Amino acid sequence: MWMLSFNKVVKRCCLFVLLMGNLVALSAQTVMVVPQTYPIGLNVPKDSGLSTMLSTYKDSVTKVMGKVIGFSTYGMYKKQPESGLGNLMADATKTIAEQVYGQKVDAAFLNYGGIRSYLPKGDITVGNVFELMPFDNLLVIQKVRGDSLQQLLNHMANRKGWPISGITFVIDSNMAKKVVIGTKQLYADSIYSIANSDYTANGGDNVTMLKPFKPINNGYLLRDAIMNYIKMWTELGHPIDAKPEKRIIYANQ
Amino acid sequence: MPINRRAFLTQTLKMGGAFVAAPFYKTMYPKATKGETVLTILHTNDVHSRLEPFPMDGSKYAGLGGVAARATLIESIRKEADHVLLLDSGDIFQGTPYFNIYKGEPEIKAMSMMGYDACTMGNHDFDGGMENYVTQMKHATFPTLICNYDFKNTPLDNKTAPFKIFKKGEATIGVFGVGIELKGLVPETLYGNTVYRDPVECANTTASFLKRHGCDFIICLSHLGDKYEDNKVSDEVLAKETYFIDLILGGHTHKFFTEPIKYKNKGGGDTLVNQVGWAGIQLGRLDFSFGVSNKKNFLKAHTMLIRKKNRD
Repeated sequence: MWMLSFNKVVKRCCLFVLLMGNLVALSAQTVMVVPQTYPIGLNVPKDSGLSTMLSTYKDSVTKVMGKVIGFSTYGMYKKQPESGLGNLMADATKTIAEQVYGQKVDAAFLNYGGIRSYLPKGDITVGNVFELMPFDNLLVIQKVRGDSLQQLLNHMANRKGWPISGITFVIDSNMAKKVVIGTKQLYADSIYSIANSDYTANGGDNVTMLKPFKPINNGYLLRDAIMNYIKMWTELGHPIDAKPEKRIIYANQ
Repeated sequence: MPINRRAFLTQTLKMGGAFVAAPFYKTMYPKATKGETVLTILHTNDVHSRLEPFPMDGSKYAGLGGVAARATLIESIRKEADHVLLLDSGDIFQGTPYFNIYKGEPEIKAMSMMGYDACTMGNHDFDGGMENYVTQMKHATFPTLICNYDFKNTPLDNKTAPFKIFKKGEATIGVFGVGIELKGLVPETLYGNTVYRDPVECANTTASFLKRHGCDFIICLSHLGDKYEDNKVSDEVLAKETYFIDLILGGHTHKFFTEPIKYKNKGGGDTLVNQVGWAGIQLGRLDFSFGVSNKKNFLKAHTMLIRKKNRD
């Protein structure tokens, strides 16, 4: 203890002497700074040069992205520990994975940082979904042991809640407690089928606990899963209205 | 001039009072006195391919952002300021369909037209792959600065620089960049053989090199993130653990700072950290006035005095 602090003092003294030697004048020089932040709002006119440059790209973007694929009843934004938007995306991941891979999926999750945008109230366009999930991440399934799944849920609890489908849990001291998968408790030695993106399946966003489980992957884009899930509800005459439903709650609530 | 000045003026006139009355025309900025330089830093971070304003869909940022409006604003500031540096702290790419379709070409073209002086690399600038970054930067008139990624044996080898020195009036300005740890954040297939080195160590080495080579003012473009609950390296850590950085322009955490945060650095001086949210919703401006180095004040620590702008 004493040795440690002594070392520290010696180090600091050495550093001080070193600095003294380097600095010719010890009185600091004052720098004045005036900060300002400009909002880039509608009152700022558009530069014609930039507008012209952009127009050559804009037409094709609008053509592809402007197509309406659904309708939402409210403006959907990401939120932790849970949001309607996150539930929509996790449900899409689970449902479409079952369709694409033709097998039962126990649960699905996405990393919170992977939700990149929002869905506006009213018409939902292809472009909205591209902004929500701009990455070309793939929809995969992993067969995961229960103890590793618990580690994943703890990671999600520690990160204040990620979008999830097929599982509910309580965040208690940064851990996932009272885990229910389907209708049952989680068993450490059972194998569960988990849908997610190849990004997290390969350890992205520090999901290191899933790395040992080889993902089943047929190249289907996660974005297409969300797109087709929205289209599916639209064809059934349903608006998009997913709500938070206490899939993840805090223990002290 | 890359920007159409006549069109800007006509449009400004057409807009009538609305734009002319915008706050920056009513603002008094410090004027340089003898032996002093006033440096105007303009900066963005995490623009994420937001080339057009957010759509008018009733959402939080509806109508905000867009390169065409940003260009006008920058151009009008250039007219009144003596020495401008326009900088970006990374994550230029990814977030709108423009990137999905064109892989960053219009983003880089827009920044070149606006006259950006330098940028650093964010984690999402790897999203199209390193070859793609090289391809898109062929449209750039500005360098990518990063001192803690070793790109040897990657397509980015020799395509970036650790720092750049700018002469602005009497003053010499050193600008360098630091990037975030890629492992666990960016898929390995995208960053390949890139070696991440300790940002604090690299920043200290680079900043002291710049200081010894006569830089009066040193700016770090950082994509580390402003601060974290755990001890992960951040702009806060960087500010406190380094000697010669005057200003850290940050990113990654998408924070809208109301004003720059001041930290005591390791040399006993002040280091400012600023960040302006994301998506080009805001443009940051910092006007610094300082004396130019001579033998007497060389290596002297800087004390920052944040002053509210005067209004007339």
